[in-house]
Amino acid sequence: MGMMALGSVLDGCNLFSANEDENSIGYNPLSPRSPHFQGKAKSVIFLHMAGAPSQLEMFDYKPELQKMDGLDCPDSFIQGKKFAFIRGVPKLLGPQANFKQYGQSGLWLSDNLPHFQQVIDDVSILKAVNTDQFNHAPAQLLMHCGTPRLGRPSMGSWVTYGLGSENSNLPGFVVLTSGGRNPDAGKSIWGSGFLPSVYQGVQCRSEGDPVLFLKDPNGFDRDMRKASIEAINHVNELAYTEYKDPEILSRISQYEMAFKMQIAVPDVMNIADEPAYIHEMYGTKPGEESFANNALLARKLVEKGVRFVQLFDWGWDSHGTGEDTALDKGFIGKCLQTDKAVSALLLDLKQRGLLEETLVVWGGEFGRTPMQENRDGKQNSFKGRDHHADAFSMWMAGGGIKGGFSYGETDPIGYNAIDGKVSVYDVQATILKQLGFDHEQLTYQFQGRPFRLTDVFGKPIDPIIA
Amino acid sequence: MTWLKSPLVLTMVGLTAVLSCYFLFFTHHPIDYNAEVKPIINQKCISCHGGVKKKGGFSLLFREEALSPTASGKPAIIPGDAQNSEMIKRLHHKDLEERMPYKEEPLTAGEIRILTRWIDEGANFETHWAYKPVQAQAVPSPGLLSFFSSEDKNEIDHFIDKKLKEKGLNRSQIADKQLLMRRISLDIIGIPAPENIAQKYLSDQSPNAYEHLVDALLASKYYGERWTSLWMDLARYADTKGYERDYIRSIWRYRDWLIKSFNADMPYDQFLTEQLAGDLLPNATDEQFIATAFHRNTMTNDEGGTDNEEFRTAAVIDRVNTTWETLMGTSFACVQCHSHPYDPIRHEEYYKFMAYFNNTRDEDTYDDYPLLREFRNKSIGQFDSVMNWVKLYGTPEEETFYRRLLKTGQQCINSLLADSMVNAALADTKFLMLRKSSWARIKAVSLTNKSTLLIRYTSGHDKGVLSIMLDSPGAKPYLKIKVDKDKGGWTLLEVELPKGSTGVHDLYLNYENSKLKSKEDNGMRFDWFALTPSFPGKTLKDFTVYHDLFVQTLNRPDAEFTPIMLDNPADMKRSTHVFERGNWLLKTTKVEPGLPALFINDKDIKLRNRLGLAQWMTDKRNPLTSRTMVNRLWEQLFGQGLVETLEDLGSQGAQPTHPELLDYLAYQFMHEDKWSMKKMLKRMVMSATYRQSSETSEKAKEKDPLNKLYSHAPRVRLSAEQVRDQALVICGALSDKMYGPSVMPYQPEGIWRSPYDGRKWKKSDGEDQYRRAIYTYWKRTSPYPSMVSFDGSAREVCNTRRIRTNTPLQALTLLNDSTYWDLSVKFAQQLMKNNGLSIQQKIGKGYAKATGHPIDPQKTNALEKLYQSSFQRLEKDKQRILSMLSDSVYQKKGKELAALSVVTNAILNLDEVITKN
Repeated sequence: MGMMALGSVLDGCNLFSANEDENSIGYNPLSPRSPHFQGKAKSVIFLHMAGAPSQLEMFDYKPELQKMDGLDCPDSFIQGKKFAFIRGVPKLLGPQANFKQYGQSGLWLSDNLPHFQQVIDDVSILKAVNTDQFNHAPAQLLMHCGTPRLGRPSMGSWVTYGLGSENSNLPGFVVLTSGGRNPDAGKSIWGSGFLPSVYQGVQCRSEGDPVLFLKDPNGFDRDMRKASIEAINHVNELAYTEYKDPEILSRISQYEMAFKMQIAVPDVMNIADEPAYIHEMYGTKPGEESFANNALLARKLVEKGVRFVQLFDWGWDSHGTGEDTALDKGFIGKCLQTDKAVSALLLDLKQRGLLEETLVVWGGEFGRTPMQENRDGKQNSFKGRDHHADAFSMWMAGGGIKGGFSYGETDPIGYNAIDGKVSVYDVQATILKQLGFDHEQLTYQFQGRPFRLTDVFGKPIDPIIA
Repeated sequence: MTWLKSPLVLTMVGLTAVLSCYFLFFTHHPIDYNAEVKPIINQKCISCHGGVKKKGGFSLLFREEALSPTASGKPAIIPGDAQNSEMIKRLHHKDLEERMPYKEEPLTAGEIRILTRWIDEGANFETHWAYKPVQAQAVPSPGLLSFFSSEDKNEIDHFIDKKLKEKGLNRSQIADKQLLMRRISLDIIGIPAPENIAQKYLSDQSPNAYEHLVDALLASKYYGERWTSLWMDLARYADTKGYERDYIRSIWRYRDWLIKSFNADMPYDQFLTEQLAGDLLPNATDEQFIATAFHRNTMTNDEGGTDNEEFRTAAVIDRVNTTWETLMGTSFACVQCHSHPYDPIRHEEYYKFMAYFNNTRDEDTYDDYPLLREFRNKSIGQFDSVMNWVKLYGTPEEETFYRRLLKTGQQCINSLLADSMVNAALADTKFLMLRKSSWARIKAVSLTNKSTLLIRYTSGHDKGVLSIMLDSPGAKPYLKIKVDKDKGGWTLLEVELPKGSTGVHDLYLNYENSKLKSKEDNGMRFDWFALTPSFPGKTLKDFTVYHDLFVQTLNRPDAEFTPIMLDNPADMKRSTHVFERGNWLLKTTKVEPGLPALFINDKDIKLRNRLGLAQWMTDKRNPLTSRTMVNRLWEQLFGQGLVETLEDLGSQGAQPTHPELLDYLAYQFMHEDKWSMKKMLKRMVMSATYRQSSETSEKAKEKDPLNKLYSHAPRVRLSAEQVRDQALVICGALSDKMYGPSVMPYQPEGIWRSPYDGRKWKKSDGEDQYRRAIYTYWKRTSPYPSMVSFDGSAREVCNTRRIRTNTPLQALTLLNDSTYWDLSVKFAQQLMKNNGLSIQQKIGKGYAKATGHPIDPQKTNALEKLYQSSFQRLEKDKQRILSMLSDSVYQKKGKELAALSVVTNAILNLDEVITKN
């Protein structure tokens, strides 16, 4: 019944043609599928800096803001506005980093990102992304599930639902976290919502089993596990002759796949065998939980045909309430922890010829205010900025995206988008487009209507597409 | 025959002569709107001409809309005159810019014919089947042959057989006795039958043996636990509050209320009424208050910087959507932003309905107020003493007031409502914080008949002065209160109001403290304010004793706290507005509580509150409540609903496979069974349809591959809860303990990693490791992993239907999760106790225990081979054996036990074990 039930759910979906036999024996919901049109990208690596990094200390250079440092924020910016923590009249805060132009493109970059200049000509920076949520959990949900509320499928689930997986020994949608914490919105942002749970992200962990329950019980060896799965499958085959239930055949193949996963997952998750120059390039240390290790794993996973790799790095919420969230202290540390690995990931994908077919996306759930935060009306003890939804920076690279390109502009203090404003839904529509989907057509019938990732919004950002 | 005049249609008719003949032959039948017209409209027209978009000013959602003038100034439909109706003209148009559906494939000739006839016959709309009242249904005649059949059938079977016959199929024979016992036990109590019930049934040779089994299972205490697991998904039950911080919430008493109510077979109408409005029932009991926690399972957002009103509103919206989706099988969420896309429900009707729920005391506070306090230990006596005193020396009104205040902490004004702050703030957006020389306002407080102000606060500084002004910060102080450093935690301050205070006023709060150095130093933090009549018996000798007891019991009782629903008193009533496009910040028209016009005349509702709502929902004229529930019960037993989309019986949901049977059951549930769920379940499981074998014939597979007609019993994979609970029973480990706080069975390290929450998964002791799945602690952002593998839901929002999957992660869970390995060893130990048995016999016994039926030789061989190969591998490896078995179970026969554990582990993984056969 199980897979039949699933089959009948898929019947309601616009994606699959009606004559495709989802109910046939051995039907696998993760088998590779063709998108609406030939996409440029085959897989996605989404690097999410959870907590929302400050665009003003990374990509959006605002010399004017420097001149206004310490002045009261003009009324026009705060009238009728809601902030998470700023109350009353805050002061403007100049960029806490130096900027220079790099590469042939001459794009501006802060000195917080010393390695990124090597790859600047491979990325398109979006400087005027806009969201309508200014709290972490709802904004992360909006970014990944297309709604600030819970219960909808995440982008990775939509993509694996639409495309299936290219590697039957590995999950199609893998999530890696660093920074010691899960992102604010919890596991819901890689959940499958109302899509069948087979499409949810599988969190691969740095400690313990990389995938839960992957390791055999103590004392087992491979032969013993093999013998036991053979016995299970043998008895199940006998049961099939009695009941003729195709679900039994499906279970037999799932046990075979589980056995293969037990080898394939630890294998792909093991970075110790990578050559020294790779470790040098990424700054990886086998055995620890770090963003760098996850970046290298992301490359290994897409190399093996994993469809969607989602990285979350926690600790970017630079309010300036303490040293770790100060723009001139903890924040610089976060930049340094990730800059080398992010750059190495792009270079490494490129040298393997994978960048063309891998779309890499970088960003947070929103940006940060041009004002120094004054939590509950009093100046914070360190240099810090509050949550800012109106305009922030993200970038994309590979998978058919232009290199050395910048799109969108903010006003002289980096508060509002004045040109090339794009929404989170536009980012989602762009990612789907690069994979070969019309974001309005990738739908799933639920509660009597077709749902999609971009709700009723979104338009691909064509200017950054090569 | 106007349509014949169109040359295009004439050609089409020529092309589809056969179809046309068929059509002409039947033209005397009036068109069936629901069966013929509405599907075309829903599929081809309504996404542009419906509740969401009204392109060209034309909508097909309501008849009056469809017939009114469009943007062109003329109506698109002229009843009785399809030829001159623009709608039909547009279907034929040659200009692709003009032809409808716009830029899509044209309608087929058949579809156009149906729409044309529909307009010619008057363009009548008909109510969708699910919105019509449930009528008594005639049971199909069983046919002559059945008089000669000895088969034991009930009414359900007559409905089923009729459809089967139409398809040339038959029901299968009744399933084997043991197999049937396992099936019905898993269905009714969620676990295999307890030994005593099983023995009685297997030795019972009477024709009523099966019925006795059904009765015994329905009477078992395990019954309530099994059906509670279903309801927990609908109620989105969790032990945490959700969102970013996802802190703990103590709401397990609601789970226990469910178990008790199911076991007592509380009639479904009462069951719903108490959950929706138990607090509004006359002389509501504690249990009835606990029932209302159903809708307090909505999430509370503790993330710093979040707007409390935004998330209060989100919770109210969730209550509306959950009520419709789970209890009335209607997707309602879409009406939040616009009229329903497919069903005739208007945008503003969403907010009228929301008004029923928009007046409760909860305000997204950190403590989840309001809470029912169930006193414990010495607080029980203290509460009784205080109430005796109030009863003796106060008025009856005062008695009611103080009882509610002590039992629920209400009515109080949460400090997070403060506004107009100067140098003050909501600390972490949760509690009003006053600093040196700071101001804040509490709006519109009624002082009428009040004589005391209670303030729950904390302060770290001596010598503060809190002044309260009425209506203007410049007014003369109304109250001036000295505030000293308290002992930490919350302190209750009591201030007498000046005599003769009356009317509704804004309270301006000002805090001054010359000892504070900086303007930014915190002075005083507030939890809530309350205005009360003066505590009775002021002139009496023991006043101080009882008054102190009152303060203590109110401020820090020893009690169990459970979030409940409680309405605002009249002077704190909220008004409800339509949100423009669903945006809670864009409030438009004010609305009063009311129902969608589609359903019932508003005049039928006496009470304009949640109790009135519950009365409507459980009224026998409500078309949805009974249908939704019998469909759900059917789905639990048969693996699919009579309407597959449990969450949507509307025109866009699936069509019922057996509409008459659905209505028959829905009618019987209300009128015959008087809403008894046990009676309805018995009705279903007594049918031959339920009792038939699940073996599938080739003919059935070909003619009805999804078994929508029930020519055999379905095979359904067990639910996440059943997988765990069954394994506990098979291995002899199940704890019988019922009720109480949720427990933490084994889960791997490092699963909980929420930001800002240092709480850890702390493995429970002793038998709490082996409780039924419903007692497992449920953290929304990090639900118990092995249950999630088996399609358990996170319960952030209600889950009306679990979609079953079949994945390698399920295999890995049952093979390797320490819980299941631990159980495999326990299972093997049980089998080892049978000293005299050969290894084959032990394997056979284990298989029978797990599947409920005897093993056959081929399966024995396969499992014995596994035993022998494991045994050989372990031959000379004592260390390995030790690592497989924990020390405590390692006795002399360690090698045998380890090898047998490998086999029992395999048995727990068998398809026949995790599937209901």
